[in-house]
Amino acid sequence: MNKFVLADPKLCIGCRTCEIACALSHNGERTDNLSQENFFPRLSVIKTFDVTGAVMCRHCEDAPCASACPNGALVRMSDTVQVIQEKCVGCKTCALACPFGAMAIRTFKTPRSFGGKPWGFDYKAQAQKCDLCADRPNGSACVEACPTDALRVIDAQEMQQIRQQRQQKAVVEAV
Amino acid sequence: MQKVIEVCPYCGSGCKINLLVENGRVVGAEGANGVTNEGKLCLKGRYGWDFIHDTKLLTPRLKNPMIRRERGGKLESVSWDEAISYTAKRLLEIREKHGPDAIMTSGSSRSTGNETNYVMQKFARAAIGTNNVDNCARVCHGPSVAGLQLSLGNGAMSNSIVEIEDNKCIFICGWNPADSHPIVGRRVVRAKQKGAKLIVCDPRKIEAARIADLYLPIKNGCNIAFINTMMNVILTEGLADMDYIARYTSGLDELKAIVSKYTPESTRKITGIEPDLLRKAARMYATTPGGSGIYWGMGVTQFLQGVETVRALSSMALLTGNLGKPCTGVGPVRGQNNVQGACDMGALPNVFCGYQPVTSAEVRKKFAKAWGIPVEKLSDKPGIPITEIAGHAEKGTLKAYYCMGEDPFQTEPDLKAVRKGYAALEFLIVQDVFMTKTAAAADVILPATTWGEHEGVYSSADRGFQRFYKAVEPEGDVKVDWEIIGLLSTAMGYPMHYNNTREIWEELCSLSPKYAGATYEKMDANGGLGYVQWPCPDAKSPGTQVLYAQPDGSVKFEMPDGKGKLYTVEWAPPHEKCSEEFPTVLSTVREVGHYSCRSMTGNCKALTALADEPGFVQMNPEDALDLGVADQELVWVQSKRGKVISRASVSPRINRGAVYMTYQWWIGACNELTAEILNLSKTPEYKFVPVRLEKIEDQKWAENYVRQEYSQLKQSLRQTNAEGTVAAYA
Repeated sequence: MNKFVLADPKLCIGCRTCEIACALSHNGERTDNLSQENFFPRLSVIKTFDVTGAVMCRHCEDAPCASACPNGALVRMSDTVQVIQEKCVGCKTCALACPFGAMAIRTFKTPRSFGGKPWGFDYKAQAQKCDLCADRPNGSACVEACPTDALRVIDAQEMQQIRQQRQQKAVVEAV
Repeated sequence: MQKVIEVCPYCGSGCKINLLVENGRVVGAEGANGVTNEGKLCLKGRYGWDFIHDTKLLTPRLKNPMIRRERGGKLESVSWDEAISYTAKRLLEIREKHGPDAIMTSGSSRSTGNETNYVMQKFARAAIGTNNVDNCARVCHGPSVAGLQLSLGNGAMSNSIVEIEDNKCIFICGWNPADSHPIVGRRVVRAKQKGAKLIVCDPRKIEAARIADLYLPIKNGCNIAFINTMMNVILTEGLADMDYIARYTSGLDELKAIVSKYTPESTRKITGIEPDLLRKAARMYATTPGGSGIYWGMGVTQFLQGVETVRALSSMALLTGNLGKPCTGVGPVRGQNNVQGACDMGALPNVFCGYQPVTSAEVRKKFAKAWGIPVEKLSDKPGIPITEIAGHAEKGTLKAYYCMGEDPFQTEPDLKAVRKGYAALEFLIVQDVFMTKTAAAADVILPATTWGEHEGVYSSADRGFQRFYKAVEPEGDVKVDWEIIGLLSTAMGYPMHYNNTREIWEELCSLSPKYAGATYEKMDANGGLGYVQWPCPDAKSPGTQVLYAQPDGSVKFEMPDGKGKLYTVEWAPPHEKCSEEFPTVLSTVREVGHYSCRSMTGNCKALTALADEPGFVQMNPEDALDLGVADQELVWVQSKRGKVISRASVSPRINRGAVYMTYQWWIGACNELTAEILNLSKTPEYKFVPVRLEKIEDQKWAENYVRQEYSQLKQSLRQTNAEGTVAAYA
């Protein structure tokens, strides 16, 4: 089973600490080059009239983004769904396919050269979403930073525990 | 990498931080296992440290002393010797000519520490000879300090932050924990998880309201009417603790005479609350087994009846026996990291450190002896509150202001009037870390060290003394605040020299019975995580978690008769009324990612990435629709006093007919709109300002205007700092 970060709206206070933690985690933990133009968290704190919670990739088992990608840029690996950026062409199909709105398409300007001299810009696109901080030694940065423990990683084992608890509750309530 | 223990420099939650230092520079922060934060930090604590190294994002750090020799002239860089002797000479001249009460000083509720505040009030009282010293508690929890002192005898939170999660019932009124104090807010969430009942009273559906058992969407400006009605229900339904009232309180008959008229039906139009819902809330608050705690913020204090509302809330706690017991009580949750401390240290016009009144001859005698001055030199006349500086300057009764760690040109109400008043001062000294808007108008700038560059003690919101330590060497030709004050004092003929903060702390504890046992050793214990809540009267005492509780289980208030005073008044509406011209209520509020005048958080990259100028004006979707304004569009907000541009933030959580702005934006500065209407404790009515919103058709123009204004402002502050030229900003 794929792992994912679960956000509990009952515990969330909407402080957005997770957004900064996420942006930094994907910026080499550097704050010095951070700005409004360069602030790309892969989760968003969303507030409706009576719900507040972080929304991010659920790492779906039958991931619609992966099914939709025409270029094979979205793959399943190590119990997660990941984007192979080299293959992404920025076609946005995955963003439209995702039922959670968890996929963002970022476009970057990259300098182009001609005959060894700078010559205008190229555009490079990236489909970006939660990668569960796969390469981060301490695990998911948002989970680590959340001051109210409203975020946690759910894996197969935890999922099993949740099921068992619910089943026990169901059988008791059935009596 | 080195880890240095700090207390967070932002709100009053008292969170302990490990500041990560590498090669003499701060490179990160992580939560330390402090008493109040248990290893957790919010975004400001975790990502709000890079201002130390002068990012110049909003405004540059002050790196050397400067003097402006004549008004309209340029600031020029000078040596410390010259800055001190020039300042001393000018202050002495003013005192000679106009007397000591023509000079005003300020303590600072921000990251300078308790020792500096003690030294500043000593300077004002002993060196200058005036009680003109105050701090920005005046604009926030001044009414809490005054109201609680009048009703219970102690102006501080009665219980502690750690107890909140074990409250069985939490009553929140005019406090937005998630935005103002996220790590105290965490305790509210945990209490709810543990099964506590939660009652939230606020015009906006704030985060706490979302998880509340009862949410009471009270109307803006109804506070006293609302609390009187709560007490009416408590008394008429027999929910009061009559035994507790008889033993520990006074004033029941007078209280009854007033609240008897405030039935839920009769006040429904004022409060906007259905009688059934209000009765449910009163029953829940009064009868939940295990007791209830009340917590409030600026939504109570920043009204014309701020002091009275604090007293009414205390009365509600007294009526139900919710004082002097664990996990109950009254909690004004303090806004700035050391606003409790600045008050504790006597940076107030009416008390010396330890809340000892200047009007007491015995107290003056004690301080005169300790400070080595004749007792006649200590004034018995309470001084001027900071909110009246501009007025006194214009009248000519105040000639000089020594402003430390405050930015009145951003934080005071009615900024146009503030600038005009301050311009009438003969001499303005600003001692700060950043080139703030106030600093740019100063005659002398004394640059100080910032958080991370010095050590000392802070008081958190629940009276907890905690140590913070020096992490890095200061940048530039700057000095520690208390050292600067000492030099100035010495140059003025009252020698004041300390070698370190410990010497200052020991002196002030020896003069303050409430802090006598709060030693550095106790705070340094447990790897620098020690927590000592005053009163801590002797060496054996670990501090006091619950005020008024006696060892025999009884309750005694710090009043002459030992009894808590039941008190309320008739409700009066806010001073300014909405009209056809200004139909909407503006209330100033806080947002989670920025703090105070923003000189610190505005210089932090991550926090600025999250929110930047011109800031936001929160409004209801239907109001936005009526105006034809879409979410995130720029709009004009105008009051009688001024007009600013802001960005619409449209949300159904905002009540109709009201808008909300945060006060830290330098372009969208809501204090251009607010009024200097002061309550009993001289706190402005920031929470009720009639305004009008105007749609801007040409959004492209508006976006450009904001960009230009912002870059001009930043440019002018940088230039003032770098070249010593006059700030173009007026």
